[in-house]
Amino acid sequence: MTGDEDLDGLAGEYVLGTLDADERAAVAARRLREPALDMAIRGWEIRLAPLFESVPEVMPSAALFPRIESRIENNLVEPRSAIIIDLRRRVNFWRGAAIAAGSIAAAFAIAIGAQQFPPKEKTPNLVAVLQKDAASPAFLVTVNVENRTMTVRPVAAKNESGRSYELWLVQESLGTPRSLGIIDEEGAISHPTLAAFKPEVIKSATFAVSLEPEGGSPTGQPTGPVLFAGKLIPAT
Amino acid sequence: MTADELGQLLQRVGRHDRQAFAEVYQATSAKLYGIVLRILSRRDIAEEVLQEVFVKIWERAADYDSSKASPISWMAAIARNRALDEVRRKLPVAIEDYPEIQDYASEDETALAATMRNEDGRRLAECLQHLDPERRQMVLLAYCDGFSRDELATRFAQPVNTIKTWLRRSLAQLKGCLGS
Repeated sequence: MTGDEDLDGLAGEYVLGTLDADERAAVAARRLREPALDMAIRGWEIRLAPLFESVPEVMPSAALFPRIESRIENNLVEPRSAIIIDLRRRVNFWRGAAIAAGSIAAAFAIAIGAQQFPPKEKTPNLVAVLQKDAASPAFLVTVNVENRTMTVRPVAAKNESGRSYELWLVQESLGTPRSLGIIDEEGAISHPTLAAFKPEVIKSATFAVSLEPEGGSPTGQPTGPVLFAGKLIPAT
Repeated sequence: MTADELGQLLQRVGRHDRQAFAEVYQATSAKLYGIVLRILSRRDIAEEVLQEVFVKIWERAADYDSSKASPISWMAAIARNRALDEVRRKLPVAIEDYPEIQDYASEDETALAATMRNEDGRRLAECLQHLDPERRQMVLLAYCDGFSRDELATRFAQPVNTIKTWLRRSLAQLKGCLGS
C-alpha cells in the first residue's frame, strides 16, 4: 500500500472486471479493512451501473430456483446462519476498530464481526465469527473471558485433506501471533491454551485461522494463508 | 417492480422470509442471469454461478443498505463479482473457442442506447461518447462481457501494459466527465 498507489484506478478496474484472479482476491480482502478502497469501489459500482442495466435479460432454466431453495434448506441451518447475519450488522464497527488497532491485528482482520450472547450469568460469553465472506467456511469462537475457556465451532468449514486449520491469537502486546491450537474435524481445539493470556489481551485480540500443513505450523508462526479472522465484542 | 418494493422484499429476505425470496428471484433472476451469462458465455457455468449468487443474496440480505445502493445495483454487484471471480479463475480461453462472443462491433452502440433509459444512464452514455471509440469499446467489453486485460490485449493488438494504462486513463476521464 504505497502512498502513490492509484487507489481509484484499482477500484475502477475491480468493478470493470479487468483485474486478474490474484489482484481481484487481494482487492476483495483489502476492501474489508480499507474503507477508502471500499468507498472507491462503491463509487465505481454506482457510476457504471447503467451499463449492467443495458445487458439483455435471459431466463434461467425453470429447474434453477428449486435447486437454490434446496441449497438454502440444506446448507443454512438456523439458528447459526441467523447468528451470522446478526453479527454482520456489526462488521463495519469492528472494521473501524481493527484499523484503529493497527499493525498485525489490522493486517489479519480480514473480516470481523462479533456479538455478545445474552448474558446468563455474571461472566457472559463473548463470541467472534471468523470468516472471509458469506460463501466461505467460517468458525464461531465462543470465549468466557473470566474462566478463559473457549470453544470453536465450524459453521460451514470444510476440511482440506492433508491440511490443518490452526487458530491464532493476535494482539499487539503479544508481539507475534500465538497459536491456540489445531482445529480438528469436529471443530474442537484439542488443547485450549487461553489460560496463558490476560483477560484484557483476549478481549482486544483478533482471532485468526490459517491453513497449515497437517498437524499445524512447523515454525510456531502462521506459514499458510490467513483465511478467516474475527474479534470478540467487549462486554457492554 | 419499483426499487422501493424490491428494497422492502430484500428486508424481508434479511429476516429469512422465503416467500419474499421467491418474489425477489422472480423479479431479478432474468436480469442477473443475463449479466452472468454474458460474462461467462456458458449456460451450465452461468447457472451454477447464479445459484451461488442467490444463496449469497439470501445470506446477506440483512446487510443491504438502501442509502448506499439501489437494490438491483447491490444484487448486480454480487452477481458480477461472482461471475468475474469465476471467469478469472480459469485459464484464459481463446476467443475463437466461443464464436458467439466475437461479434461486438454492433453491440457497442446497442449497449450505449440501452443505457439512455434514465438520467444517470444518459450522462454515462454521453461521457462514454467522449472517449476514443476504441477505448470506449474496451470499457464496454470489460464491463459487460468480462474481457480480461489479456483478452483486450489480443483483441486490440496491444501490449497488456498499454491496455492497463488505457483502461486507467479511460476510467479517470469518465470520472472527470461524470463529476463535472
